[in-house]
Amino acid sequence: MLKYEFDWSVVTSGQYYDWIVSGLYLTIQLSAVSIVLAFLLGLLIAVMRMSSVKPVKWIAHGYLEFFRNTPLLVQIFFWYFGSYKILPQSVNDWLNSTNFEFAAAVIALTIYTSAFIAEDIRSGVLSIPKEQMEASRSGGFSYLRSMQYIILPQAVRITIPPLIGQFLNLTKNSSLAMTIGVAELTYQARQVEAYTFKGFEAFTAATLVYVALSIIITALVTLYSKKVLHRTG
Amino acid sequence: MKKAVGLMVCMLALVLVAGNAFADTYDAVKKRGTMVCGVKDSTPPFGYVDQKTRQIVGYDIDFCAAVAKNLGVKLEVKPVTSAARMPQLMEGNIDMIAATMTKNAERAKQIDFSHSYFLTGQKFLVKKDSVKALKDLDGKKIGTAKGSTSEQNAKKALPNATILSFDDYPQAFLALQQGKVASVTTDETILAGMLSKAPNKAQFEIPNIQISDEPYGLGMRKGDKKFVDFVNKTILDMEKSGEAQKIYDKWFGPNSDLPMPRTFKIVADK
Repeated sequence: MLKYEFDWSVVTSGQYYDWIVSGLYLTIQLSAVSIVLAFLLGLLIAVMRMSSVKPVKWIAHGYLEFFRNTPLLVQIFFWYFGSYKILPQSVNDWLNSTNFEFAAAVIALTIYTSAFIAEDIRSGVLSIPKEQMEASRSGGFSYLRSMQYIILPQAVRITIPPLIGQFLNLTKNSSLAMTIGVAELTYQARQVEAYTFKGFEAFTAATLVYVALSIIITALVTLYSKKVLHRTG
Repeated sequence: MKKAVGLMVCMLALVLVAGNAFADTYDAVKKRGTMVCGVKDSTPPFGYVDQKTRQIVGYDIDFCAAVAKNLGVKLEVKPVTSAARMPQLMEGNIDMIAATMTKNAERAKQIDFSHSYFLTGQKFLVKKDSVKALKDLDGKKIGTAKGSTSEQNAKKALPNATILSFDDYPQAFLALQQGKVASVTTDETILAGMLSKAPNKAQFEIPNIQISDEPYGLGMRKGDKKFVDFVNKTILDMEKSGEAQKIYDKWFGPNSDLPMPRTFKIVADK
């Protein structure tokens, strides 16, 4: 049996506490940017997927199938390491001089999650009676304007619960960014473990922070949908 | 939610049940007739699987074998990872760690170390002619692997550099090849091992910039005095008899894959 002495002070104060906090900060940045981008991109793909223009529909369909069916970790490696082979050297030089690790993680998280979000939104749209679209078209709205003013506002409202699920997934998936050296929360928890051998404390702290973060995201989205999307008049 | 909290409390309680300290490993190993040694199985030339024999061989394994022989017992080797080696020792799954483990004060709080049986230093692998002195690397991105002492040392030596920790050294090396990091830093022996296997090795070099000493020690359970004394005496005797030199030459001598001069002798720690 492992003899283990608990020392919670490593994660409640001092240098290692600072690491965890800086990791949390980066996780929030990574998640917030990716959630916004993934939602917008997901909306676009969903609309394209339901378009009556065949090539647009096919592109969206191909995008969905491709990015939903490959592991996120592989996609992260693709954007970070694989892009090197495709891009010209001057672009690579410029990317390497920037914070490309963060950018590659955002790109991967955004694209991966947007595919799931698009399907959720599409199922929301399908649940809106098609007479509404017909009514709005005969009322003089174009297809895109009908989507924008009539269909999507209702569909997004219906889609809120699965959307929250996708946002939470994205937040937790952001821990995979540590494989390309982005020092987010899980990365920092592992660093604390490596430096102090207090892995139990470090990962307990990280777990609690993830739970808190998830609850906050759920609360914010629910509040937004109640106050903004469901307001009357 | 209440259920989840209850479950967490139960798990905590399980972990909190403290085990008893181990009895004397020396006597236990003698009685059992085998000594179990935790080694690396993919870190040539310290511990790796030989292509022909399918056995784990290497510098570390030869030291395990010498200790086992001196005890008059059979040797059993068990592959361990950097992260798992100390818990496995403390849980009693292995009797001794011989897995390229750097001795440091943090680790010495948890386990006892033998005298140093190998000495290397942390250096930098860089693109040829890109780095002349340590200051050329400050402010740059530096790659290394997670959970290693290398990262700690690099942060101290290059306070303005960004340290990128990858899951393993091959990824850090790929990042160097693509220009994503200016250098990969870790123990010189690991860098040299990596470089010797690279297809485009002429483009890289390891300049003579050393930022730390990395003495490797054999790890044993804390307070296991009789066994620690026995292992220490064994490796000191090996130095005296020339056996330690012979093992070194086998893996790092002029005719080996990784020729490096021996800059140390096994001596008792102060």
